[in-house]
Amino acid sequence: MKMILAVMYREYRIRTTSLTWLFYDMFMPLTYLLIFGIGFESAFAGGVAVAGDRMGYNAFFLAGVLSMASFGIAINTAYGFFVDRDNGIFYEFLTYPMTRSEFLVGKILFNSLLALVQAAITITLGAVLLGLALRWDLIGLVAFGQVLGTAGWFFFLTTFAIRIRRNDMFNTFLNVAYFVLMFGSSMFYPVESLPRWLQAVSFVNPLTWHTDVLRYATIGAGAAEVVALEGVAFLCFLAVSFALAVQTIRNPLRA
Amino acid sequence: MNLHENSPIRVHDLVKVYRGKSRNPVKALDGLNMEVARGEIFGLLGRNGAGKTTLLRVLSTLIEPTSGTAEVCGRNVVKEPYRVRQSICAVLQENAVEVFLSVLDNLSTYGRFHSIPRRQIRERAESVMAQFGLEEYRHQKVIDLSGGLKRRVQVAKVFMVDKPVVFLDEATTGMDPVNKRATLDAIREHARQGRTILLTTHILQEAEELCDRIAIVDQGRCLVTGDLAMIKSMATRAYDINVTFERMRPEILETASRYPLLKLRSTSTTLEMSVRGSEVSTFALLDALSHVEPIVHFEVTSASLEDVFLELLGTSGKEGRAGEKS
Ligand SMILES: Nc1ncnc2c1ncn2[C@@H]1O[C@H](COP(=O)(O)OP(=O)(O)OP(=O)(O)O)[C@@H](O)[C@H]1O
Ligand SMILES: [Mg+2]
Repeated sequence: MKMILAVMYREYRIRTTSLTWLFYDMFMPLTYLLIFGIGFESAFAGGVAVAGDRMGYNAFFLAGVLSMASFGIAINTAYGFFVDRDNGIFYEFLTYPMTRSEFLVGKILFNSLLALVQAAITITLGAVLLGLALRWDLIGLVAFGQVLGTAGWFFFLTTFAIRIRRNDMFNTFLNVAYFVLMFGSSMFYPVESLPRWLQAVSFVNPLTWHTDVLRYATIGAGAAEVVALEGVAFLCFLAVSFALAVQTIRNPLRA
Repeated sequence: MNLHENSPIRVHDLVKVYRGKSRNPVKALDGLNMEVARGEIFGLLGRNGAGKTTLLRVLSTLIEPTSGTAEVCGRNVVKEPYRVRQSICAVLQENAVEVFLSVLDNLSTYGRFHSIPRRQIRERAESVMAQFGLEEYRHQKVIDLSGGLKRRVQVAKVFMVDKPVVFLDEATTGMDPVNKRATLDAIREHARQGRTILLTTHILQEAEELCDRIAIVDQGRCLVTGDLAMIKSMATRAYDINVTFERMRPEILETASRYPLLKLRSTSTTLEMSVRGSEVSTFALLDALSHVEPIVHFEVTSASLEDVFLELLGTSGKEGRAGEKS
């Protein structure tokens, strides 16, 4: 436990000694919701439809902002892994008196906490400023979804951060992952309104599963059985990603 | 007393083959054996690519060996890596600093990772900052420091904690002479307190000054292991003796040539000789010469570690498996 706290303390110091990061981590999703969301709200004055229900774009987009936030935190952390390896500190960590899992758990706990704080700020200010009608009874599910979502993406991306050695390749990978996964998901638009081929992409995209669960938990949109299935699928994704990440970090030098 | 209390580091027939995907397998360690005694400063020397870093990586649980065993404080590095990590701290060859944190934060996070009580962290950080001349940079982010200063921060960290075993992979690289001195002093001080130190260096003078014992590693094996005197005695040219007389006479040369000298040269007043310590007594030689002609001045220098190093490894180049000769 002491080691997990030490890992968290280190992450905390890095975040809190840089105002840029603090801003990015805490307020970026809110900025997204307020600028992008409001822009689209007026562009789609008729709202959007999910599983037959019509809703305003802001209400629809809230879940997208939350899943983007946890995906973004995971990307930052994976990038941090890459930078840590470039600085060599990553290897030094692995000689500290802790187990590999304590190291990963410390990182994920900190980042999940970050995602929770971020979600709380986004939801509260979103509700206050945009007057969104939320399913407050399901708020626990939102929290749960944020934590597991951050963990899933963190483990998934960590595997690549450790395996890909070259800076240019890793940057390309992150950009492509960011672009394809986000725009090929239900984050920005309802999947039903997409062309067939893009629907197929988004149905096998864990980011869609994650976003749909959050959308159900925030505004009650979507069919409960489908959302439950997506939740289970995401848990499987999480488990596989975790196993891969642990296996990867066991042999960090790929030697 | 348990065996490991005498020898906190024990390595037996250690083999490490790197199997990169796109590359051919590289045998970095090839049946290496060694033991390091408690409180000892042990130096690993050898050419680039000899396997020194690989050995430290195995001992610090960063990579697993392909075969053979390695123990640190009685714990097997493969079976009990966590226990091993509890008894070590390491300065790796790669730079390892928290670039986004200040110098002070670098030290204090390190202290936390090694379970130093919070009250003591600040105190210890102050003392190592003073020792390594880092006080004026305490609040600077490490990303803004020069290369040598970054290295200083990295090295300073290990002196925050008291682990029984310390690994230092080219710790003084890039440091200025003043800080190099501070580092050497700190290493010596920690060894005196009973910590066991295994280090690598390419600065032979540093090894000579610091190490109780030395191993010269080549192609993944120890060519020779021993204390400084023993290793130096392996040099063909064990001692250089220069003797100056008022004038050179043929009898002097004649006397000298009765001894099995490796080298004999004379100038107008000086005789330059090289001898192997085991074959010629320097005192007897000087005594004999002084009976021929009064000696004005003499100088005896022993072979340096560099002589041995170059002799063992210098010419062997790629074909060199000098170990198989000896
Ligand atoms: N991660 C790796 N993957 C593949 N081969 C490696 C790896 N690390 C080292 N090697 C190879 O293993 C051999 C031993 O390397 P090592 O780094 O242990 O040498 P060294 O004695 O520390 O050298 P130096 O004095 O240059 O630091 C070299 O041939 C090197 O190319
Ligand atoms: Mg090396």
